[in-house]
Amino acid sequence: MNVTYNWLKEFVDFDLSPEQLADLLTMLGLEVEGMEKLGAGMDDVVVALVEEKRQHPNADKLSLCRVNNGSEVLDVVCGAQNFKAGDTVVLAQIGAVLPGDFKIKRSKIRGEESCGMLCSEKELGLAEESAGIMVLPSGLPLGRPVFDALGLKDTLFEIGLTPNRSDCLSAVGIAREIAAKLGKTIKYPDTTIKEGTDAAGSIIAVNIEDTELCPRYAARYISGCKIAPSPEWLVKRLSAIGLRSINNVVDVTNLVMMELGYPLHAFDCDRLAGRRIVVRRAVEGEIFTSLDSQQRILTADDLVICDAERPVALAGVMGGENSEISDTTTNILLESAWFKPAAIRKTSKRLGLHTESSHRFERGADIGGVIRAIDRAASLIADLSGGCVAQGVLDVYPAPFAPEPIILRPERANQLIGIQLPKDEINNLLSRLECHVIDLADGSLQVTPPTYRVDIEREIDLVEEIARLNGFDKIPATMPLAQVVSDRPSQHQRLQRSVREILVAQGMNEIINFSFTAPNAAGKLLLPEDDPRSASIRLANPLIEEQSVMRTTLFPGLLETVARNVSFRSLDLKLFEMRRVYLPPKVDGEMPCEPIRVVGAITGSRERDGWCQTRAAADFFDAKGQIENLLDLLNIGGVKWVADAPEPFYHPGKSCSILAGKERIGTVGEIHPTVQENFGLEKPVYCFELDFEKLVSLARQKRTVSPPSRFPDINRDVAMLASDDLAAEKIIECVRSVKAKEIEHVEIFDLYRGAGIPDGFRSIAVRVRYRSYERTLTDEEIGVIHTKILDSLVNKLKVSIR
Amino acid sequence: MREQLEQLKRDALQAIGEATGEDGLQDIRVKFLGRKGQLTALMKGLGGLAPDERPVVGQLVNSVRDEIETSLEAALLSAREQATIERLKSERIDVTLPGRRDICGTKHPITLVTEEVCDIFASLGFSVAEGPEIEHDWYNFEALNFPPEHPARDMQDTFFVDNNLLLRTHTSPVQIRTMLKQRPPVRIIAPGTVYRCDSDATHSPMFHQIEGLMVDKGVTFGDLKGILTIFTNQLFGQKTGVRLRPSFFPFTEPSAEVDIACVICNGKGCRVCKNSGWLEILGAGMVDPEVYRHVNYDAEDISGFAFGMGIERIAMLKYGIGDMRLLFENDVRFLRQF
Repeated sequence: MNVTYNWLKEFVDFDLSPEQLADLLTMLGLEVEGMEKLGAGMDDVVVALVEEKRQHPNADKLSLCRVNNGSEVLDVVCGAQNFKAGDTVVLAQIGAVLPGDFKIKRSKIRGEESCGMLCSEKELGLAEESAGIMVLPSGLPLGRPVFDALGLKDTLFEIGLTPNRSDCLSAVGIAREIAAKLGKTIKYPDTTIKEGTDAAGSIIAVNIEDTELCPRYAARYISGCKIAPSPEWLVKRLSAIGLRSINNVVDVTNLVMMELGYPLHAFDCDRLAGRRIVVRRAVEGEIFTSLDSQQRILTADDLVICDAERPVALAGVMGGENSEISDTTTNILLESAWFKPAAIRKTSKRLGLHTESSHRFERGADIGGVIRAIDRAASLIADLSGGCVAQGVLDVYPAPFAPEPIILRPERANQLIGIQLPKDEINNLLSRLECHVIDLADGSLQVTPPTYRVDIEREIDLVEEIARLNGFDKIPATMPLAQVVSDRPSQHQRLQRSVREILVAQGMNEIINFSFTAPNAAGKLLLPEDDPRSASIRLANPLIEEQSVMRTTLFPGLLETVARNVSFRSLDLKLFEMRRVYLPPKVDGEMPCEPIRVVGAITGSRERDGWCQTRAAADFFDAKGQIENLLDLLNIGGVKWVADAPEPFYHPGKSCSILAGKERIGTVGEIHPTVQENFGLEKPVYCFELDFEKLVSLARQKRTVSPPSRFPDINRDVAMLASDDLAAEKIIECVRSVKAKEIEHVEIFDLYRGAGIPDGFRSIAVRVRYRSYERTLTDEEIGVIHTKILDSLVNKLKVSIR
Repeated sequence: MREQLEQLKRDALQAIGEATGEDGLQDIRVKFLGRKGQLTALMKGLGGLAPDERPVVGQLVNSVRDEIETSLEAALLSAREQATIERLKSERIDVTLPGRRDICGTKHPITLVTEEVCDIFASLGFSVAEGPEIEHDWYNFEALNFPPEHPARDMQDTFFVDNNLLLRTHTSPVQIRTMLKQRPPVRIIAPGTVYRCDSDATHSPMFHQIEGLMVDKGVTFGDLKGILTIFTNQLFGQKTGVRLRPSFFPFTEPSAEVDIACVICNGKGCRVCKNSGWLEILGAGMVDPEVYRHVNYDAEDISGFAFGMGIERIAMLKYGIGDMRLLFENDVRFLRQF
């Protein structure tokens, strides 16, 4: 809602600067989102008198002027023709800056010096188009800044209104708020009409067929109007708030809408069949051409204003082409009606036709303000067009609306707000809002709100008004008294934080991708159509196709992020994302599932560049190591790594499932070359995925530890030649299967393939650490166990000891 | 004999003075004081002296030995010190080379802010609640007093899945889900992802909110002001000015927008706060009785407040991020700064 400082002053007397007023409005809940000083910084644009005008010697279309600015006479070259010597004009002097950051400098135009520029209204930002320069009325003081001299200095406020405050969609509405806050009275605009002798009821007729959607319809008849451009004051008022002038009738209806908040419509009465108005629902499929020349197909939910034969307006939304005011209109039927908000909203939404009128009606116009608005407009139209207003207003209003009185308990209001206002003060505050307040014997107040406050229906609505008008700043900040409750974050919540912290500690950067993705995301991952992740939840109204389905897997976003970073030459990456995926419900009608998944990607070098770093490329085992660490820290043990080529988007020979018991809790692997290509990745990427929900159920809070032995250890190494098919895990298991409590630790410390090793074989070296809890072990004791281990390896695994 | 001893002492002391390093000094010890050294050799001549001279010369021998010993010890100590100094000097490294380290990763700024906000409210006794992102219209709108066909629904451009399901446009449905599950007192915050079909430099179709709800006997609007003042002071610094101004949300009444004094210009007015000196960071208000009706709470018996804030907005203010899109581009050059 746009309104200006000077305009508000016409309705309420206040003594505040524009800045103070902006602050007052904002603190009333009418947020001033923008302030524009009209004419600010234009003090070098002054009133001047053309003393002499002659032809430019070197240009046919230019003239040379001698212009008096009150203190000196200047030479100015001008291209316009619409003025003569003796005219008062607008001079932009050297140094002036016109709208659009146009700086006026001393210049030579075709050899003649020009000390400024004579301006048009367009150049001053006062009009969209202008034919020549602006010629001012004579007698204005020369040298005065022109915005001052014309009274155009003003401040425009752009007010962001919340949808509940339809009463403030007008200058008067905002002035009412100022008056209430300051305890002043509002001066409503003049609505006195000189009526003619013919009774309106004998010329026009109104019939409401659907009183549910249209409970009130008032009309006036104005004859003998002459359609003409609007006078200067009206054009300026409208342009100050961003509206374009059309003609003296349409401008009046627009002015009254912006002034009183009431949308009106003027029909060319001679184009109304039967000179009558019928308000009814549209017939299904009825076709109507609105003012903007668009054909609209209507439904039975749409309310239309008709003449005796056909629709002439889409009620509350837009008038019809067939009855609009034209240059030849002489007789006018002026409509001021009230329509049911939900009906207007439905029509305006369905047709995508949002107008100033529908905006007000769908938020609730003032049904009690119908007559004031029509009288104000009729009186102005008669004034400006020379028309005559017929006697009387046709006001069809079968069931007059009276706001319900509300019982307000002052102590309840005080208790909810946390203040102690006496009842009289509460009474006073509500009365200033034009509520009718009666002090009841039981200590409560009976409050009847004004008809324009459609948002006040309940006691709580009055509580808000009291808090608001008294001032939120007057409410003391207090601390609530509350019971102590023990409510630690759940295991689910705590583990989310732990997993993030562990992965971050391991050098991974957390990413967050959008929850929606492209429909072909599953395909890019080579997931077959019967994979559950190929069925995703689709949005009915996506912004773009690339964000039209809810993701069922975090991989597409992860790989896209890797690709984007690589394209920015960030080649060494360790990324993870821990977010929800969205799976369609297993049973129709149930809610979708939103489990949390953790995915990670590693690519490039294991370490970042540096003087002491090796630049070794990361591989599968970096990804696996991340998970091993994570599982250790979450205290999840007994995990198996099974090379079962778990995902089509992994390299089948470099990927595995992570099993806890029989349940798969995740996967790890190198991205399949085809998928790598699908995502535009040149270098291999090593990824993992974990089902966070399963981690939560597996993580054990209880951890048992044992004290370290106080005796020394002895290490024995064994190197063996093993077939490539023999999994390293089997070797460890085999060593461990020799059940001796002296075996403290077993690890593979060397792997070798190449010279000296036959094809299909590798050399594996294992270190066994022996230690006892009771004593220092002897070589002989260890020798016995170690021999068992060697025998077991040779016999069970058929390796040859080197 | 005496002259010989005196000569030996002079020779020894001179040798000690000229010797370099520990090894040289050890050689001197052997040469003069060792079993086959010169002093021992001289002592063999003691037997040839007159009996009355023996003790006198013997004393002299001892004093010469002591003097040489003392001098040697001192010289050795100094030689060792010198050697240490030399060694340390030779082992000097360039400490300005970067350290060898395992570089840590980073949490996403959205996570950092969410955790910080949750921690502040946890210290005030609020526990964390969660809810689905694909939500029923009823929880997202109707139970929060957005009737169908109400203009307030225009405040939130909604992504729909079907007639019934939508992507939640705010974290407020978690209020409803919590109150339906639990009787008062209720003290929760609900962080989460929300969606609106809007995309430009200041709007992302997916963003994050944290919702707060407190319902108990006798909770006032003044309490809301108190809690939010503490919160903003914890998050942005002890003396951050806070301002509540009237606003509208269907599910609260009275409703307020909460502004903090601009953290960029300290309230003087700058580009970020559009010269107002204030930054809007929260929406809040007293829970509307209509909401209580939907969750079967008795509005006469209890009262409470709710608030909600955008995480992106707070992250952008805290870290001076100018463009919201940076938060979702996941450029590691950006992420590694947190």
